[in-house]
Amino acid sequence: MAKITLTNGKIVYKPHNKSWIVLVVIGGLTVLFAYLVSLDSIGIQFHPEELPVILKKLFSPHRGEDWGDYFAYILKLQNVMVTTLQMCYGGTVIGALFAVPFSLLSSKNIVKTKWIYTPFRFLLNLFRTIPIPVLAAICISFVGTGILAGLFAIALFTFGIMVKMLYELIETIDMNIVEALESTGANKLQAIRYAVFPQVFPDYVGYAIYILETNIRSSAILSYVGISSIGTVMKDSEMTDYDKVGGAIILIFIICVIIQLFSDVVRRKLA
Amino acid sequence: MNRLRNVLAKKPKKWIMNLLFVAAIGTILVLSFDGATINPLRFPQIPYVFLGIIRGFLNIDWSTVLGYGEFTFSQSIAYYAIQTLAIAFIGTLVGGILAVPASFLAAENVVGKRVARIGRFFLVIIRVFPEIILAFILVKGIGTGPITGIFVIGIHSVGMLGKLFSEAIDSMDRSSIEALDAVGADSLQKLRFGILPQLMPLMSSIALYRLDINVRSATVLGAIGAGGLGTLIILYSNPPSWVSLPGVIVAIMVMVLAVDSISSALRKKLV
Repeated sequence: MAKITLTNGKIVYKPHNKSWIVLVVIGGLTVLFAYLVSLDSIGIQFHPEELPVILKKLFSPHRGEDWGDYFAYILKLQNVMVTTLQMCYGGTVIGALFAVPFSLLSSKNIVKTKWIYTPFRFLLNLFRTIPIPVLAAICISFVGTGILAGLFAIALFTFGIMVKMLYELIETIDMNIVEALESTGANKLQAIRYAVFPQVFPDYVGYAIYILETNIRSSAILSYVGISSIGTVMKDSEMTDYDKVGGAIILIFIICVIIQLFSDVVRRKLA
Repeated sequence: MNRLRNVLAKKPKKWIMNLLFVAAIGTILVLSFDGATINPLRFPQIPYVFLGIIRGFLNIDWSTVLGYGEFTFSQSIAYYAIQTLAIAFIGTLVGGILAVPASFLAAENVVGKRVARIGRFFLVIIRVFPEIILAFILVKGIGTGPITGIFVIGIHSVGMLGKLFSEAIDSMDRSSIEALDAVGADSLQKLRFGILPQLMPLMSSIALYRLDINVRSATVLGAIGAGGLGTLIILYSNPPSWVSLPGVIVAIMVMVLAVDSISSALRKKLV
């Protein structure tokens, strides 16, 4: 500790600068992790000079074809895209609906008994750690590969996120209104319907749209566990037809931009 | 009493619009199940599938998870989990460091409205571009392995963190900078004593939150070839193998919950 004598003779101590500890910890972790990553990269070809070549292959027509063929292929993808959107929409709506009762049960201000909401929260926390390919694997084991498995996987995933977002939202509401309703003799269900619901509904819809957006963005991963979606096109032609992969990428990007714009508009209207 | 009834009658008839919305959402929901078929032979199988999954979780082969006995540590699931952590940590760190200059370029009160708009536009482009597709392109371009994962997480984090950082900068309190101006500080000193103390806690808390999300997405990205646990998920889930998958799931749960609790404890300390 640095000792400083002030002009009036008082001695003060400058506190330790704790940021050095933080920097050392971060630096140590970085070195450790970098070492681990480098261990695993031995023997793997790392060829960044390939990147421009790949990009050119992806976003230009195949040899012997023209741009017309390139864009005609994108239009041909509409069936796969519709399937993907089906899974995402159905999954998001179902997951968001199922999230409502569970989020009510895990919010502190609605259920005031600790031993109800704590186990609910713990289980949901545990459930939320499962990534979407694993959820898809679970669904595939039950219903086989197909739209249904993808839809259920997305529903489970949406459910997990939505419960968390929703109970955090419910915990911030104005409880005076609930108390007012209860003092007029409303039961719990009526209080939820007329005091909780109107307060959280706009944000709830906003969250649902936001989750739909992320779901569409991440649905391509489902093809890697065997559910046909827009990612299947990428996966199936990744060895031979780079232009088809590029077409699929452009399509996903366009859809993502459209959804983003749409969700911005809706959320601004609701807010 | 009459007056009350009149007021009630004047209540806007919202229910028509509400009904239309519900009907629209419901119709699209029904349509989204179009083509979702399930083999009826699967129904009697469901209890067995369920039992199989439970049995898988009860009989986890811990020697593959922790890497002892006939397995070395570098073959174990735990090793892949640490690799996932490494990808997420280094990716977040790199992304966070790069996001600082990017966020200054997107903050209105630093560079002015016009430049900020351009900066923000670039950040939006990075954010809208799906992580999975970025991973796909980079895996093709620079090769498989954890380094690709770091690149993907890093690039995506620049977009996300850049936006949040620039919002933090925009809402910064300027009075301390003016005070430093008044005592004659140069711009480096202003940065060190006026801006950094204000922004560091907020930025670190945002970055820690991002680390949380990145651990989850690093898990998924491995499926495309970006290293880490995702490699194992795809290996064991296409088709699902409930002998090996439970070990991976447990590893994911432990890893994500640990990172979650550490980062939320640190965030509580910061803010």
